[in-house]
Amino acid sequence: MSGTGQPVLEARGVVMRFGGLTALSGFDLTLHSGELVGLIGPNGAGKTTAFNALTGVYAPTEGDVEVAGRRVNGMRPHQICELGVARTFQNVRLFKELSAFDNVRIACHAGSRSGFTSAWMLTPTHDAEERRIAARAEEFLSVMELSPRRDELARNLPYGEQRRLEIARALATGPKVLCLDEPAAGMNASEKVALLELIRRVRDQFQLAILVIEHDMRLVMGVSERMLVLDHGVTIAQGAPEAVRQDPKVIEAYLGDGKLRLRPPREAGTGVP
Amino acid sequence: MERARLVLRSVAPFLVALPVLWFVQGSLASYTSFVAINIAVNVILAVSLNVVNGFTGQFSIGHAAFMAVGAYTAALVTTGLESLAIPGVPAAVSGQAVFLVALAVGMLAASVAGLVVGIPTLRLRGDYLAIVTLGFGEIIRVIIENTRVLGQATGISGLPACTNVVWAGMGVVLTVVMARRLLQSTQGRALLAIREDEVAAEAMGVDTVGWKVRAFVISAAFAGLAGALLVHKIQLVTPRMFTFVKSMEVVVMVVLGGMGSITGSIVAAAVLTIALETLQAADQYRMVIFSMLLIVLMLTRPSGLFGTREIWDVLPRWRRRRAPGEAP
Repeated sequence: MSGTGQPVLEARGVVMRFGGLTALSGFDLTLHSGELVGLIGPNGAGKTTAFNALTGVYAPTEGDVEVAGRRVNGMRPHQICELGVARTFQNVRLFKELSAFDNVRIACHAGSRSGFTSAWMLTPTHDAEERRIAARAEEFLSVMELSPRRDELARNLPYGEQRRLEIARALATGPKVLCLDEPAAGMNASEKVALLELIRRVRDQFQLAILVIEHDMRLVMGVSERMLVLDHGVTIAQGAPEAVRQDPKVIEAYLGDGKLRLRPPREAGTGVP
Repeated sequence: MERARLVLRSVAPFLVALPVLWFVQGSLASYTSFVAINIAVNVILAVSLNVVNGFTGQFSIGHAAFMAVGAYTAALVTTGLESLAIPGVPAAVSGQAVFLVALAVGMLAASVAGLVVGIPTLRLRGDYLAIVTLGFGEIIRVIIENTRVLGQATGISGLPACTNVVWAGMGVVLTVVMARRLLQSTQGRALLAIREDEVAAEAMGVDTVGWKVRAFVISAAFAGLAGALLVHKIQLVTPRMFTFVKSMEVVVMVVLGGMGSITGSIVAAAVLTIALETLQAADQYRMVIFSMLLIVLMLTRPSGLFGTREIWDVLPRWRRRRAPGEAP
């Protein structure tokens, strides 16, 4: 499925340093639309740091991030969002006291240019805009199979649905790239499979590039065409899932140095947290 | 036809309110109308502060300063233009026209002050923001106290008594309509998103700093309106009217009514104003009463009377189920 032409998201030699700590070094990533790439690595490998550098939460210490050919270093997250990079959070960050519908409607705001005055005077433009936003929000709720939960407060939704609502909200910003930070965390096996299907469908329906951080190797291998493995901020392997899985460096990062073990790991790469 | 309907819907609250207020104005005794205007001013203050504290979730405690800016600016306009009669128009009418201009200029000046204070301070969060708004509030008051044109500590007296129940009531209608329509618009939802989770709001394309500043400016403008209305009732403006105590009073109204609840602010403002009016003798215990009230409230109902809900969501709970997303 890997696309050609201009990449929608490109990171070149991104370095993130916090004081003396280098959380991410020489991070390279090229993402074409329609691609689904998995970003894996043990705890503290720098996966979320990479996400934050890509989405503008941090400005990269070194290197460049480009969205559809435009350099976005140092831009604020909302500007990068408007250029087409949306994300979810590792610990669900919904607008808890608002309904599922409102959560998605807020994300639809991106690109709206009407101001306070038209809202106060209830101008026809404002009306049309509100209707457009409502229709859009309904659409994304139904894509993520949340339509029956439309008026439920976000905090009252079950955990799996909160995760889906977060994806619906991210989609509503109209992204070219969707970054999912451990979308399946805390889900049981059957929920994970369903989510996986949903992610794949979303990718096909909206022709998105999707970058997924995941702990569950099996999940991410089943869904992505390409993987990137981080350890201690360094990209230690990348390529097709099967190749990555056999890579001795990856096995070492996940399971430690084989020499120290009593028995060599038989099924390296699976069943790892 | 469709267009006429839209225009009508837009101005309907004002068309309804005007004759009603006119009628009420005629039927009120002078003391009652004084209290009514006081209530109106406090409702405007509470609802406008709610835009920042309740909708946007930024805790500002310097509201009285913007009230002062609006009050002084309007006072300068009315005293400056008092002698100026518009030719061919009866004196009463031209006086009203001047007052309208004064209110508008007062709001404008207050919103400029809001912008000046808001841009540097709204990068701060929580307690820091509260302290800084308090500081700016005092700075503005001290500047006024030391400016000769503004009459220093004695202020400006002999303002025309322009404010009546109609003006004050229309001010309330304007403020409430503003807040209500804001809450139901995509712009208002951006503010709510900031209150709920700033990081997520920013990631969803909400320019958090920009919207916070805008909310602050709007809030300041309406505080200015309240100030301008108040001083043209009591015909006097002095810096002592706009101290920290006044700011706290408004904060108490907002917290009491429930942060984010428009009707909550209205009810709380009305109740507190009447309470203060009837407890005139206990004036020096005002802050004691307020702090006790807040302590009791925090212990029993931490989210205020109505929380973020409106009165009709709370009271007849058994009769009317709420239909979210539907404009009442």
